[in-house]
Amino acid sequence: MFNTRFFAPAALACALLFALPIPNAFADQLPPNDVKSLLGRIREKRAGAPQIQADFREEKTIKMMNKPVVSSGRVWFQVPNNFRREVKGNSPSTTVSDGQQLWIYYPKFQSAESYQLGRRSPLDAGIAAITASLNLQGVEENYNITAAQEGSGYVLQLAPRAPSLKRMLQQFTIHLNEALQVQRTEMLQPNGDRIVTSYSNETRAPIDSGTFQFTPPAGTNVTTPLGR
Amino acid sequence: MPLHSTISHLVTRRRGVVWLGVALLVAASVFVLVTHMRLDTEVLNLLPRGFESVEGLKVYNRDFAQVRELTFALVAQPQDVDRLEEFAPQFAESLRQQPWCARVLAGSPLETPDGVADLQKMAVPLLLNLEPATFEETLAALRPDKIRERLRRLHDEIDAGSPRPQFELMLDPLGVIAPALKPFASNASIEEDQPLTSPDRTMRVFITVTNQPSIGAFECQKLMREVNAFCATARQGWDGGPLEVLVTGRSAYVGEISLSMRHDIIITVLGSIVLVGGVFFIGFGRWLPLIGMGFSLLLCCLVAIAAGLLIFGELNMVTVGFCAILIGLGVDFAILIFGRYQQARDDGSDHAEAVGEAVKNLGKAVFFGALTTAVGFMALVLSNSAGFTQLGVLIAIGIFLAGLFMMSVFFLFVPEATTPLRNDWIFALVKRYVRATVRRPGTVLWIAVPLLLSLTGIAVSPKPRLIFDASTESMEPKSSEAGYALHTIMDKMPTRWEPAIGIVRAQNAQELHDYWQKVAAHWSQAQSNGKIRSFSTPAALALSPQREAANRETLHTLDVPAARQALETAVAEEGFSAETFDSGFTLLDELARIAQPEAPIPDWRSLLPKASSWWFLVDRFFAHDPLLTTGFVTTNEPITTQEQKQMLTRELPVAGVPMTLSGWSFTLTDLIPWSHRQLILISAMMAVFECGLLALLYRDWRLWLIHIATLIFSVTAMIATMKLLHLPLNLLNVLAFRLVLAVGVDYGIYVLLVWQKARQLDHDVAGVVKPVILAGLTAVSGFGALGLANNPTLAGLGIACGVGIFWSLAATVFFTLPAAAAAEPKSWREESLQTRVKYTEHV
Repeated sequence: MFNTRFFAPAALACALLFALPIPNAFADQLPPNDVKSLLGRIREKRAGAPQIQADFREEKTIKMMNKPVVSSGRVWFQVPNNFRREVKGNSPSTTVSDGQQLWIYYPKFQSAESYQLGRRSPLDAGIAAITASLNLQGVEENYNITAAQEGSGYVLQLAPRAPSLKRMLQQFTIHLNEALQVQRTEMLQPNGDRIVTSYSNETRAPIDSGTFQFTPPAGTNVTTPLGR
Repeated sequence: MPLHSTISHLVTRRRGVVWLGVALLVAASVFVLVTHMRLDTEVLNLLPRGFESVEGLKVYNRDFAQVRELTFALVAQPQDVDRLEEFAPQFAESLRQQPWCARVLAGSPLETPDGVADLQKMAVPLLLNLEPATFEETLAALRPDKIRERLRRLHDEIDAGSPRPQFELMLDPLGVIAPALKPFASNASIEEDQPLTSPDRTMRVFITVTNQPSIGAFECQKLMREVNAFCATARQGWDGGPLEVLVTGRSAYVGEISLSMRHDIIITVLGSIVLVGGVFFIGFGRWLPLIGMGFSLLLCCLVAIAAGLLIFGELNMVTVGFCAILIGLGVDFAILIFGRYQQARDDGSDHAEAVGEAVKNLGKAVFFGALTTAVGFMALVLSNSAGFTQLGVLIAIGIFLAGLFMMSVFFLFVPEATTPLRNDWIFALVKRYVRATVRRPGTVLWIAVPLLLSLTGIAVSPKPRLIFDASTESMEPKSSEAGYALHTIMDKMPTRWEPAIGIVRAQNAQELHDYWQKVAAHWSQAQSNGKIRSFSTPAALALSPQREAANRETLHTLDVPAARQALETAVAEEGFSAETFDSGFTLLDELARIAQPEAPIPDWRSLLPKASSWWFLVDRFFAHDPLLTTGFVTTNEPITTQEQKQMLTRELPVAGVPMTLSGWSFTLTDLIPWSHRQLILISAMMAVFECGLLALLYRDWRLWLIHIATLIFSVTAMIATMKLLHLPLNLLNVLAFRLVLAVGVDYGIYVLLVWQKARQLDHDVAGVVKPVILAGLTAVSGFGALGLANNPTLAGLGIACGVGIFWSLAATVFFTLPAAAAAEPKSWREESLQTRVKYTEHV
């Protein structure tokens, strides 16, 4: 197997992102104070239940493929950075992260990829982008945020501040319903790839800590594409 | 006519002839200087010859592209790390626009716009260099069924959400480039160890290769003027807090060092002249003899440098210190001779008689003084260092010239009519001291001996330790901007330290390939055993003509049209975009072409664009001559000890592969035993020589013993002082010990020879102790002036010599004289002088 340490980690982080087309102009742009207040309300709501799980449907439009790649499954998240994502269907996969390590397991191929996080690599920025929509903690630090009312809900538009994020994310839009639950996220990458993720059946029931642990089943071929 | 009379006659009665001789000598010397002046600024030439590591370092510095590398660093405040990240590409682009810049490395070559494409261009030659079995296995991936299977799998993985297929297809659409590049990719390990961004993200490093036509001092100065001008404007577009723009590299160091030579020459020569002149004037209150002394010393310097240029063809920068050392040494003769001349005038002699008297009485002492000093400096020839050999020879020539000129040219500046010094407080003090010492030598000895013994105890005691600094920093100029840049980069990159290098030269490409295959396997084993941390070699790029021929045969079995058809079908079936596979189709065409036996295989060097960042990786390994190569070994810790060096010497070489181990840290560590040998063996040889000389000179075992004890006390007190003041010894200032022995022995000779023959103590002994003290103080001043030099080798040498000579003087005055008085008591007969000396206060 080729030593993938040679590859730019940015490519991996880009590939990890999920997004879709950017919405049209916002109907009612909120003034900055209202944006701050809205973020405060979101934070307050989530502080009471620091975990979330939901079904998702993802549509990925990448230059490499002629048609969008569609997948669906369920996602779990618990602050500060525990994360699990299971893709169902013909090509299932399980992505698990505890903030230090990221596993992607492919049962069909009996293979797993392991990535170390926390090295300030673009991979970390990619994971931060993924969890931002689920967490919305500290997003002001990493993004310039504008918001608008959309029907009874809201649309947050996040423009990355840090160059590391800018390299993989051009724009990030989060659609919230009136209960401030994430309905859809749309990401546009600098290379033109777009990922749209829709969420449903959101619950904030407690999540077993084992959900965020992963041990490859016996016989799994484990690779570390970016090195140890 | 006796010699002293001839000299006296010439300098007093035939002054025009002497002046004419001086003018001719000056003219000839200036002519040689103008026509032959070449300065060697290469610091490596200060290191001794005969060491493989030194020779390896010279080869690495001379023949590899790193000699033209400049490393830039941007250092920002912690709150500006994001701004720095945004500014870095702009700075890199500015660098690329500079006319002196050939290439810039600002990040992983793969992250550059053409990084992937450049790598793909090199794929074919590297593919043909695979082991035949691996090549066959790799080629199997181009079978139609394998192509279809791979693309299906990649599609499935994309569906499953794996990020890996995207970057795999981006680089290697056919699945054959990755195996071809695998050996090459393993060389990236050292890049991982040496990142271009500090862990705290406050520093970004940019490596550039310049296009300077030569690496000489003046070219480096010219380049650095342009680089500094760029640095001054490089912050344009930066909107954060303070941002440091640092630059280091060989050219930066050479530019600084060569410029600092001018500073060193001016500062040390002027410093020596001012300090020495000041001491002389305080001692004798005369201007004209002082000017004569200065003129004679400059004449010595001029003639010796001209002689040095004729002998060596060029002079190393360290010989800059020669003038200051010569002034410090030569002034002794002037002070002693003028002191004796003045004494003769005070005794009633006229000018010509006093000149003859001075030459007659001190000729022997000056000759032996010059001899011991010259031998001391000539011993530098044994150092095997070109720079120090030149220094030793120049001083040996200069010191003999100083002896000659001080007994001839110097007198041209001494006026015939002279008036006595009205208030010679120095002589009064010296006389009082000599009188007290001669009457009660035990009192002085009771104070001096315990002090000197205590210092000896400190010197031989294991604690405190004498600091021996063999680090690369000990060779760096003081206040060096290049040094500051280097240390800042090193400090912010904790994992970054200098690797050891193994240089391998081969006769042909196949031999080079075979050598590096063996070395890579051997070093890999050493890494597995934990002996080394990591390594990188040019093995992947040292292509084998034999493998190439064998693999070309195998390539005939590849059905390229079938592979092409299978790829087209699979791309369409799996829904991949055709443009993703453009480079794959190109590669298939290229493989079809080179499968023809007559088709030439391109040299990978010609395939890589000149501006490609991959050259940074390539140039690390290959010299301008592609058969001269180097590998790098990162050790588990920075190389500082003999044990580490010996372990590397044991573990890294491979049987049958001629390899030169080197690297700065490795070399300096390698030189520690040499340096110790310099310190102990050669100094001991010097001591034996001087012991024999002194025995011959005194023919009195008690005086001989006193003088030997004086020398021991001088050296041990010097060591103790260096320990207590934390003055470090380095690879070069260990030479100070022999210089101190050579210079310090003179003072004892002057005092003991006079003591041995003295009939009138006040007249004879006190009359010589004053010039000795003045001479000692001027020598300390002369060497101390070297401490002002930017060049650390000169500054370290000057300070060590200054300390040593101070103790030689102190031991002579406070131990030699009272010990001689105690061993051979003589009565004080001041009253006997009253009728003979006209001006007793003026000696």
